[in-house]
Amino acid sequence: MKLLAVALGIAVASMSFGASANPECRASHALLDLGHPLELARKAVAEKKELTIVAMGSSSTQGYGASNPAFSYPAQLKLHLQEAMPGVAVNVINKGVGGQDAEEEVLRMKNDVTGHKAQLVIWQVGTNSAIRRDPLTKFANKVRSGIDIGRALGPEFVLMNLQYVPAVVALPDEEEYARVMAEVAKEKGVGLFNRFSIMRAWYDDGMPYAQFVFNDGLHLNDFGQKCIGKLLSRSILDLVRPKQLTGEPKTGH
Amino acid sequence: MTEAVPAYLQPGRDLRLDFFRGLALWFIFLDHIPDNVVSWLTVRNYGFSDATEIFVFISGYTAVIAYGRLLLKQGWLRAAARIYRRVWQLYVAHILLFVAFTAQIAYVSITRETRNLIEEMQLLGLGQDPYRAILEAALLKFRPVNLDVLPLYIVLLAAFPLALPALLRQPWIVMAGSIALYVLASTLNWNLPGYPEDKVWFFNPMAWQVIFYTGAVLAVVAPKLAWMDRWHWPFSILTALYLVFAAFIALSWHYNSWERLIPDWVSRQIYPIDKTNLDILRYLHFLALAWLVRRAVRPNARFLKWRIFEPIRRCGEHSLQIFCLGTFLAVTAEIIVAQFEEPMMSQMLVSVGGIVIMSLVAYGASWFKAPPPAKGFVA
Repeated sequence: MKLLAVALGIAVASMSFGASANPECRASHALLDLGHPLELARKAVAEKKELTIVAMGSSSTQGYGASNPAFSYPAQLKLHLQEAMPGVAVNVINKGVGGQDAEEEVLRMKNDVTGHKAQLVIWQVGTNSAIRRDPLTKFANKVRSGIDIGRALGPEFVLMNLQYVPAVVALPDEEEYARVMAEVAKEKGVGLFNRFSIMRAWYDDGMPYAQFVFNDGLHLNDFGQKCIGKLLSRSILDLVRPKQLTGEPKTGH
Repeated sequence: MTEAVPAYLQPGRDLRLDFFRGLALWFIFLDHIPDNVVSWLTVRNYGFSDATEIFVFISGYTAVIAYGRLLLKQGWLRAAARIYRRVWQLYVAHILLFVAFTAQIAYVSITRETRNLIEEMQLLGLGQDPYRAILEAALLKFRPVNLDVLPLYIVLLAAFPLALPALLRQPWIVMAGSIALYVLASTLNWNLPGYPEDKVWFFNPMAWQVIFYTGAVLAVVAPKLAWMDRWHWPFSILTALYLVFAAFIALSWHYNSWERLIPDWVSRQIYPIDKTNLDILRYLHFLALAWLVRRAVRPNARFLKWRIFEPIRRCGEHSLQIFCLGTFLAVTAEIIVAQFEEPMMSQMLVSVGGIVIMSLVAYGASWFKAPPPAKGFVA
């Protein structure tokens, strides 16, 4: 009994110390604009009642850092898309392989995109290339050729840029990689999910890293993964959900 | 505090091992409940390493105590056979845990007709291709949420008979080999394969073995390190400084104003603090912690025998059962917390409730084993 009292006492004390006010998963509307329409996805949803997405990328896609791979952003993306479009068969295929950079992902792009009849590929890339200090021009070329290989197989592309976490922020030129990705997206006419700016806004609004980063300082934790999945679903729904297409031609550039 | 003979030749039970292993088991339980406010009590918030290091270190230490003497008395074959009996027990426990864990989630999903809980708990591999998943689980390659620690321990102990004879004769060579493997595995990214494909072990055994063998070697060489106690101030000051530094970094994750004080070049050196390959910062943090705890807590320290801490020691004595139970209860706790509006209150209640259940079961296990034979340890 005494032990119980002590434990409760300590727990209450720890609560006042560690309590974080209900964290909010948020991003401004402007940050959620992918900047390019998703025609194939929109048509598939409207006409065939289906939407297939391949999530290509590294550990963020695989879900490392979440306490449970079902919290990985692709699993969460599927959950939210399905919830928002009950009659549509939503499928998100996770092709995240931890530790890979743009170059390694380009090598398996063809193999991993083929055969799924996907309308959309979300390519989460940039972080490992930045950490390995890949030259920017080489990185840009790899992203270009990845897009070319993938698009030749049918689907449209959305690039997801770097995560805003201590290990990335400490790099001297992480913003250069984000900039290059935005340029390539524009040049190639593909969407860009600006994860870096979305997460930076969390931090600048006072959200502590512990809220959204795994304690290795590099990967997203449960909250981070879930929130990115939710926000990305919002970005995609803005473009593919039939009822919102009435005010459509809002091509971003 | 200067041990005259190696730990594995000393008579009697070292209560520190029971106490800190019990504490580690409580911490692991608390940390396994997502977003648990009570896990603010655990080490992981105040530095780089967490309860896993404590658990694996003590496992290595006690493995030498349990099997070192046996090797000297009855030879290698017998010691190896005993180790494999233990490996078998661990394996059976892991498989039982896997089934109980899965059944619990299936039960809740079926009775509540919320099938997505199965998805939530990432038993997806099981749903998509159940036969394959069961095969991979038997091979320790498919390990759903939180079922990563026992497979690590199984692999470490299965390799232990090969190292044990050398460990007793040439501990420093074993330590050097262990560190070499650690460095190679983490730089060359060696790891064991997992399931689904492209997955690897969350706790890379080739990296984490260095903690296990640090414990094992210390159980042999401690008397030879007595000189460190005479010159302990430099070590103690250095380790204390390092712990303060680590605590500052760890707490900076909670306070942006602290975080902004850390210069980029420092961050560039520390991050990422890899858990899978046991980042050197984690290893050093654990060693620093272990050094200071060893300085502060003598084997015969009074508080180790306090009644109020008896539940912790009991849990440490029955580590395998309590570890499995804790993993199981952490999921129960997660499911319960998800039902309630008031997460903090329910987190505290399930945390305390889980620890009470773990303690009661540990007492039950002691009662079952009584009268306690006063001989050796079980690793």
